[in-house]
Amino acid sequence: MSTRYVGAPVPRNEDPSLLTGRGLFVDDVHLPAMAHAAVLRSPHAHARIRRVDAGRARTAPGVVAVLTHPDLGALGGPLPRLIPHPALLHHKTQSALAGDTVRFVGEPVAFVVAESRYLAEDACDLIEVEYDPLPVAASLEAAAAPDAPRVHADMDSNVCAHYTQRVGNVEQAFAMASHRVRERFRIDRGAACPLETRGVVAAWDARARRLDVWDSTQAPIPIRNGLAAMFGLAEQNVRVVAPDVGGGFGSKVMMFYPEEILVPLAAMRLGRPVKWIEDRREHFVATNQEREQIHDAEIALDAEGRILGVRTVFLYDAGAYIPYGIIVPIVASTTLPGPYRIPNYHCEFRAVFTNKTTVSPYRGAGRPHGVFVMERLLDRAARELGLDRADVRRRNFIQPDEFPYEVGLIYQDNAPLRYDSGNYPACFERALDRIGYAGWPAAQAAARARGRWLGCGIACYVEGTGIGPYEGARVTVEPSGRVFIATGVGTQGQGHMTSLAQIAADVLGVPPQNITVHTGDTALFGWGTGTFASRAATVAGNAVALAAQAVAAKARLVAASLLEAPPEEIELGEGTAFVRGVPGRSVTLGELARAANPLRFTMPKEWEGPGLEAARYFAPSQGAFSNGVHACIVAVDVETGLLRVERYVVVHDCGRVINPVILDGQIQGGVAQGLGGAFWEKLAYDDEAQPLSTTFMDYLLPTAVEVPPLEIEHVETPSPLNSLGVKGAGEAGVIPVPAVIVQAVEDALAPLGIHITEAPLSPSRLRQLIVEARRDR
Amino acid sequence: MKLEGTNTLPAPIETVWKMLNDPEALRRCTPGLHELKELEPDRYEATLTIGIAAVRGSYKGTLSITDKQAPSHYKLLLEGSGGSGFMKGEGIVDLEAQGENTVLKWVGDMQIGGIIAGVGQRMLGGVGKMLIGQFFKCLEQQLTRSP
Repeated sequence: MSTRYVGAPVPRNEDPSLLTGRGLFVDDVHLPAMAHAAVLRSPHAHARIRRVDAGRARTAPGVVAVLTHPDLGALGGPLPRLIPHPALLHHKTQSALAGDTVRFVGEPVAFVVAESRYLAEDACDLIEVEYDPLPVAASLEAAAAPDAPRVHADMDSNVCAHYTQRVGNVEQAFAMASHRVRERFRIDRGAACPLETRGVVAAWDARARRLDVWDSTQAPIPIRNGLAAMFGLAEQNVRVVAPDVGGGFGSKVMMFYPEEILVPLAAMRLGRPVKWIEDRREHFVATNQEREQIHDAEIALDAEGRILGVRTVFLYDAGAYIPYGIIVPIVASTTLPGPYRIPNYHCEFRAVFTNKTTVSPYRGAGRPHGVFVMERLLDRAARELGLDRADVRRRNFIQPDEFPYEVGLIYQDNAPLRYDSGNYPACFERALDRIGYAGWPAAQAAARARGRWLGCGIACYVEGTGIGPYEGARVTVEPSGRVFIATGVGTQGQGHMTSLAQIAADVLGVPPQNITVHTGDTALFGWGTGTFASRAATVAGNAVALAAQAVAAKARLVAASLLEAPPEEIELGEGTAFVRGVPGRSVTLGELARAANPLRFTMPKEWEGPGLEAARYFAPSQGAFSNGVHACIVAVDVETGLLRVERYVVVHDCGRVINPVILDGQIQGGVAQGLGGAFWEKLAYDDEAQPLSTTFMDYLLPTAVEVPPLEIEHVETPSPLNSLGVKGAGEAGVIPVPAVIVQAVEDALAPLGIHITEAPLSPSRLRQLIVEARRDR
Repeated sequence: MKLEGTNTLPAPIETVWKMLNDPEALRRCTPGLHELKELEPDRYEATLTIGIAAVRGSYKGTLSITDKQAPSHYKLLLEGSGGSGFMKGEGIVDLEAQGENTVLKWVGDMQIGGIIAGVGQRMLGGVGKMLIGQFFKCLEQQLTRSP
């Protein structure tokens, strides 16, 4: 296969429509007679509902329906449980509308449908709800205590899962070690904050018994399957479209959010289309969040700085419910070993309910935690041993000749954690070179002499990507010569319309601009699981390659009969099929598509059916493991606590690169989100679990001012697990940022001896640390 | 959110005590209070409008007076809820005669929830102090005006 397009910086097919305002987002869907919904949400973190009186709301101007829990009937039960696990003993999920208890601020209590959103919001104010406040489990630590208020009254404690994985003999390793370092690390809550909040539109055709749903989701096919089951409809009579989606980052891969059931239900009951668009303030309480974990971790090393063992025992804040299971803490504990050889490892976590918004994976999904803990432990170890932090890492890297490398754990896909390929030392040395690590002590000293507090950070990670179970794609050449690809993975801005087209372009010999990719429409492709875990390019990408190869084979067969040459001598290129060595004897792909669909006479048996079309599936036996190293230089203003990232280097290896511009964009966006999680973004809750940061006034997203231009380099170690040699890259940018920023800040403030064990920091928190350190000196 | 303060009012303790138990005075002096309807002695239905940060909302609830020890001590409980969330306030008031004046010591605790908490928590301390300041200023005016 030639690779004219895979690897090339092909301009994105989706950009013309997105940049000229011709994208179709859920809020752009306008249907005749459409009604608008608003959700009444609990203002209490924990309360019993004594009474809901919607009488005044039902008769308010323009109101067409008000739903409360009793109105849901059989749909009022707990929502589906995703991803069960033997260690998850209490797989609690919420109801679409709260029944007798609310367990977090923002939990839906009533659903109002009116002629306009304004009227629906006004009617929400008329619903009288009497609450009996209950004691609140607010902080993760307090909620884990045996005497904490129970989030779920039928449980003995708030701990819903307790899971341990072990490699080797950690006790023995720690007993033998000459050096041991122990630390408590905290990572706080953050939100994905996609530019487009969630939204759902549904329309019901009672005659055809057909339900159409537009949903800003990352997983339209499971949503369709679930809706069909819940409403007793044929799957093929339910169409779910995830049109253009303005970012998801994991937060839109729930099955189900309450509104994804309430909107279709209202549309079916009313016989008219219904729209609900989440507003930003709602998003801060009603869309799943992530990141809160507390790790008690320790590392054991020998006198040369070789790791003998690592142990972490941690708490995972699940929020009020745990629909998504324990994927995040499993990913955290299996990402922690990273690129290092750790012969003895013990990871153990308890998942704990709190009266806060539910937690499910957000870009990184536990990986930033594992990397933060591991890299912080190595930094501490280097200091205790008097070693250079780069040398400690060098002494522990898994070497290029050790792949496939068995880590000895079970990964999130339930398969053994086995690194397929990589070159960790090479990435590391390139990052050190690029940031100028060798000259850093002199540069830092010179800066200090000028009164500038500069610090350098360097952190490594391995990212599990491209897990199964499967994805599929159908490739079709139409008589116009245009190629269409349909796949089940939705797109939220990752550039699938281009990268998937590039893969097919090389196989079929047509430019990517002549290929249209359809994603996220269940009417066009009905098999698939969704876009998550950095898997679209690897899993759907290889399905596209397989389908395109089948179409190419068919094209050769049809061309062989038209051009009177053996199929082995037919080549594809420039949108044509031609006889090798005789480019004049050619026929266009469009002509082949027409010829492959005859109207009369007979069709050769070996064509196995009409048309130039094939659907194929790719089901990897395990994930492909990307890796990378981030290095940065920061300047700290010790008076204000402000941070300026002066340089940021990323050396990244995700196997074969499909499109370097798209890949750089993924990394740039990931680092921006990572900087948020390292220094700016923090979801604050008070002692009663009232969320305090529900606007962008209080929840600080990094802007262009805070995010530096990146210096990105790629190392390509192809994955042996798929024919394209690709690995995922969706989460790479975000993973090591808290670790690298905190290390750099510590380095900058080394004269003050500041020691940081938490993320995110903030200007005020950093200033507090500086003030305390200066006072203690 | 805990707040406390001390005010010296220009009237004897009995006068101050009477005023603190007078629904009309409470209605006039509590900022944003529209309605105070007696449900039973020392328990009132209250409607008030308060703006915290960008959230201005109406709250309906109850105001009750408990732990009365005339003329020097009581506890004021205010509970209300509305479209923009709920608020729950508790104030303990202690009076002490000081010649012709009365020293009033108060300790307040306020909890808010829902939208007002998410948007307005940072402002709550400042707004709370301002409202309580207005309340006492009004009482003072009433006392100096009364014959």
